[in-house]
Amino acid sequence: MTTRIPTGRDYNALVQEDRVHSAIFTDEQIFQDEMERIFHSTWLFALHESEIPNAGDFKRLQIGRYPVIATRDEQGEIHLLINRCRHRGAQVCESSHGNTRRFQCWYHGWTYDTRGDLVGLTGPEAYDKDFQCEAHGLTRLPRVESYRGFVFASVAREGISLSEYLGPTKPYIDIMVDASPTGELQVKPGVVNRTRYRGNWKQVGMDGYHPHYVHMSVFKIFSKRESTTGSAVGALHLEDPFADTSKSRTRGFPNGHACLDFREQRRPHADASIEELRRTEEGARYVDDMVGAYGEERAHDLIAWHGDPHLGLFPNLQLIHDHVRVVIPISPGETEVLMYPVFLKGVGQSINEKRLRAHEAFYGPAAAGSPDDAEIFERTQRGLLADADPWVQLGRGIQREEVDEDGSVAACISDEITQRAQMQEWKKLMTRG
Amino acid sequence: MAQQIVKAMPEVIHHGIVDTHTQQRLERFLALEAALMDAHEYDRWITLWDSDEVLYWVPCNSDEQDPATGIAIIYDNRARLLERVMRLKDKTAHAYRPLARLVRSISGVVPLSVNGNELEVAASFVLGETRVGVQNIWLGKTHYHLIDSADGYRIRSKKVMLLNNDDAMPNLTFLV
Repeated sequence: MTTRIPTGRDYNALVQEDRVHSAIFTDEQIFQDEMERIFHSTWLFALHESEIPNAGDFKRLQIGRYPVIATRDEQGEIHLLINRCRHRGAQVCESSHGNTRRFQCWYHGWTYDTRGDLVGLTGPEAYDKDFQCEAHGLTRLPRVESYRGFVFASVAREGISLSEYLGPTKPYIDIMVDASPTGELQVKPGVVNRTRYRGNWKQVGMDGYHPHYVHMSVFKIFSKRESTTGSAVGALHLEDPFADTSKSRTRGFPNGHACLDFREQRRPHADASIEELRRTEEGARYVDDMVGAYGEERAHDLIAWHGDPHLGLFPNLQLIHDHVRVVIPISPGETEVLMYPVFLKGVGQSINEKRLRAHEAFYGPAAAGSPDDAEIFERTQRGLLADADPWVQLGRGIQREEVDEDGSVAACISDEITQRAQMQEWKKLMTRG
Repeated sequence: MAQQIVKAMPEVIHHGIVDTHTQQRLERFLALEAALMDAHEYDRWITLWDSDEVLYWVPCNSDEQDPATGIAIIYDNRARLLERVMRLKDKTAHAYRPLARLVRSISGVVPLSVNGNELEVAASFVLGETRVGVQNIWLGKTHYHLIDSADGYRIRSKKVMLLNNDDAMPNLTFLV
């Protein structure tokens, strides 16, 4: 579906094992190559299926350069349709989300159903008798697959399956989903922090090295709180999960995925979390339902992990704390970040409300955490333009990497394994023939 | 708070429910609050709030997004508001340094109801921000519940409806 233009750039030279050239963050032509070679070739996260639960539900989203409408048709099937009338090219849908039977283009009235089929051709007598409505439906993205409600799409007609793409990251996605005793999440298309920063999209990643510095004020303030158990954001004060002496690990997976793995660090805090939950009726019911659904041992782990896989799926999805984060590159120096808090199904309202307040405390344009990240990404972008010494260092901890059973590479929490995993995938895709 | 004004009873608009003196006191109070926010005078700003439980609410996605089932940009009770002020003043909070230069204009100040010493007031604002070479214009409507106390007005609740609360926005690293 995309035309690959030969690039003049030598991406092998720009991305080395322990460093990358700053041009990959600032160069307009490289950004255009990224759109083609990464965003129009690999799997991208599209939406969570709970965002369009009913027949006729739709949501607009961005897949690479393409504005897309995600729909659920009368049979319950999900389609990703390019939001462009097949007549003259106008967008046929302007609402961010909603429910409809038809999408009508307001230019000349061509009308499509929720499968994208052209069902209304205005003044059909003026068209040749061989004109085929079937050949003029809204263009469908050729590959759509999902894992536990997370729907991914690819603009490329061929490639590895989503299952292969996700590989050993699947048990981490399960951490977020299985925080619900029914194993179901709800994401609401109208409940989202939309933020924008003047910096490159690759800055948003997994980084276990920055919190002590970028988020110093958060550590100071959260350390004064009595208790914020019930949320991984609040669990910061229990002990420092970003200390290299902690059991936290950075982890790099195949295909550019990466995570900050707090599982072992959090496991000993299960009892404290359960004790706190049991103080309220809905909390106690949550614990009981989790044990009923997953058994004692797994339930205790899941409660300790707070539904937080802290996982980055290259190139546009992150599952962090209580939210689903989507990264949308606008230009080399501008990025949009959408953060959708996830709601657990099968739990009392107070459980979800507590997660919402915890999310707000750290994420969003006026919260304690997000502004610090956006600010440092903007400072980085301004600094990177000064390319006298163009190399960006990503070598921290490269000498203490270990390969784990699942094939992932792990090291201390502040080590830059996560960045290296993402950049090696970037290089692989950018140099692919 | 255009909707509150649009839906207001005719007497609220045509006759007004407070006398001219009270209207002027209200407008001076809101001008003081605006000046303290513009000047980053956080300690003085916090004294404008009622000493009992308060609510400082900036909805996200829509003016009426229910915080029980959705998120807010700011949803502060007193404890969270005090944390916010602590962070605004904290020199290690680098997103707030350098401080933004701000000026705002308050207009459309309409008292909507009076109940004993409690007043409900609608207003709107235009706010200019410059910081690190970037200028942003913020617009919004405000809905207050004020207490008329011996020390002047005090804010019991303040809801700020940003015009862009459903759009991608940059850092909001000051008070609105």
